Amino acid sequence: MAMIELSHIAHTYEPTAVTPAYALEKLNLVWNDGGTYALLGPSGCGKTTMLNIISGLVRPSQGRVLFDHVDFTDFPTPKRNIAQVFQFPVVYTLMSVEDNLAFPLICRHVPKAERQRRVREVAELLNLTDKLSKPALKLAADEKQLISLGRGLVRNDVTALLMDEPLTVIDPQMKFEIRRKLKKINELYALTMVYVTHDQTEAMTFADTIVVMNEGKVVQIGTPQDLYNRPQTTYVGYFVGSPAMNFIKCTIDDGKLQIAGGAIPVPPGLSIPAGTENLQLGIRPSNVKLGTSRCEQSLRGTVQRVQEFGNYRVVTVAVKDELLRLKLAPGAEIPALDTWVVLPEDRICLYADDELLAQK
Amino acid sequence: MLKYKHFFLLPGLIVLVAIIIFPLLFTIRVSFSSWDVVKPGLDWLGGKNYERLFVDLRFWEALFKLSLMAAGSVLIQYLIGFSLALLVWRDVIMKRFIRVLFLVPMMTTPVIMTVIWRTILHESLGPANDIVRMFGFEHLTWLSTSGMAMFSVILVEVWQWTPFMFLLLLAGLLSLPKEPYMAAAIDGAGPLRTFFSVTFPLMAPISAGAILIRLIEASKMMETVYVLTSGGPGTATETASYYIYIRGLRDYQIGYAASLSFTYLIVMIISLTIIAKVMTRKIIRD
Repeated sequence: MAMIELSHIAHTYEPTAVTPAYALEKLNLVWNDGGTYALLGPSGCGKTTMLNIISGLVRPSQGRVLFDHVDFTDFPTPKRNIAQVFQFPVVYTLMSVEDNLAFPLICRHVPKAERQRRVREVAELLNLTDKLSKPALKLAADEKQLISLGRGLVRNDVTALLMDEPLTVIDPQMKFEIRRKLKKINELYALTMVYVTHDQTEAMTFADTIVVMNEGKVVQIGTPQDLYNRPQTTYVGYFVGSPAMNFIKCTIDDGKLQIAGGAIPVPPGLSIPAGTENLQLGIRPSNVKLGTSRCEQSLRGTVQRVQEFGNYRVVTVAVKDELLRLKLAPGAEIPALDTWVVLPEDRICLYADDELLAQK
Repeated sequence: MLKYKHFFLLPGLIVLVAIIIFPLLFTIRVSFSSWDVVKPGLDWLGGKNYERLFVDLRFWEALFKLSLMAAGSVLIQYLIGFSLALLVWRDVIMKRFIRVLFLVPMMTTPVIMTVIWRTILHESLGPANDIVRMFGFEHLTWLSTSGMAMFSVILVEVWQWTPFMFLLLLAGLLSLPKEPYMAAAIDGAGPLRTFFSVTFPLMAPISAGAILIRLIEASKMMETVYVLTSGGPGTATETASYYIYIRGLRDYQIGYAASLSFTYLIVMIISLTIIAKVMTRKIIRD
């Protein structure tokens, strides 16, 4: 249980280059004690680098790593009280499940009786008790990943559990089961948990706070609801939510938003500085409605395509030169061709130069 | 039914028949004849050559000495090769230069290098004994006593072929995944524990492959013995292939040498298959 603070951290893998490319650009971040966090972003955005900096596997080019306000930057990995689970399950191939789980305790010279007690406790939590005597190599991928996790939990000095895309090689039906176990572990041990993923569903269902990253930068930090309802940048809008947020170019004229040949009122409380350019309206597909007649918030469009996804359907509507996607209930009635699309004003986000405009 | 596509196999098949199948079958046929320098030709002797071979202690001793020298030299090559590969695996200064340096013995001509080794180990003229004396020891009988001669053959084999082992094992080390090492660091394992818990198990399949390749090569050990000791002193370092050479190409007992060759082939196939099976089964099971 620890608060982890990354202070002015930046990292490059080519420190001797004249103009080094930074895998992680300068940032400050605080991971609160006992919180569950997800690091979300595409491959190569710096998620794993950040995780390895916390665990000490990578020494940052700049900045300090603090655990409970104590500087741990120069501390080697074993002294950091961190457990880490990697993308591919790591088991010690010549050992049994029991020896695998006991390995971190053997390395730390924990007495045998205490070791056995801890191993049995963790094995029970992870449903591995009946497999303790089996060779670890013989287990399935999800069970091997549980062993990797168990090696972290078996230590009583662990304050934070870092997971680097731990469910990538796990079958979909097992993913749910392991995520449930992770939640249980968080409740039981109150560990600070950081979960790296590029799967937004995993991030949304696991974490209380999500950190969205792109190209070595933190783009937004917030709850799953924040990220969904108020994406701070168009990138977050595209990356979070399925289908992605709709973005339509617009201008302000006559106090109204001029969009794709139509006009709707500017949402209340929005202050748009004069001379603002590259204005875009953003709205989630689930927030766009189909209307039967013209209203103040509606635009005229033509239904182009309907895609069925079982529990919902996605309708693509062309509004002049722009395409809008709507996420509707499976039984929703869809007009044959021409229709009205309604953009509720309380659901609209406005972006200038890809950044969300503040709302009072 | 033959289709025209099968005729594309012909070039390969012809080569195979010409260089392997025919010589093998011919050797088997010759082994049942009394073909020698006095009476060359394919007569029929029945199993007499094999009866003679069965009680020919010199042949069985040669096979035993071969196994001893092959197993000894390959084991030492593995240990030294693995150590050198571990040394230059991670970042060390002049890593590339050292890697190339370690490979130099493999690039030299084996027979020439054995001649040089024979000169070095020459008991009165060679520098090896000068060095031994420099340290205050009695001069060593490098090539003239049984034990030392066998040691010398192993020494030259190790010098010549350790680089090959080093190369295979280094390639294996460089292809290992990083995650197990990160996990071991997080689990708190020191360098020794990391080696025995991570590196060695991960390298087991590559080690087995490297050892098998070298064992197959070493089972043909001949030129080192021929140049360095000529099988001596007496027959102390005589290997199976060297004994077959003596019987076949020095004494011209072609029929008997053919039976020796065929028996040697069968023994090698059986023993190397067993070794390969045992090693791979152990790896797969683990």
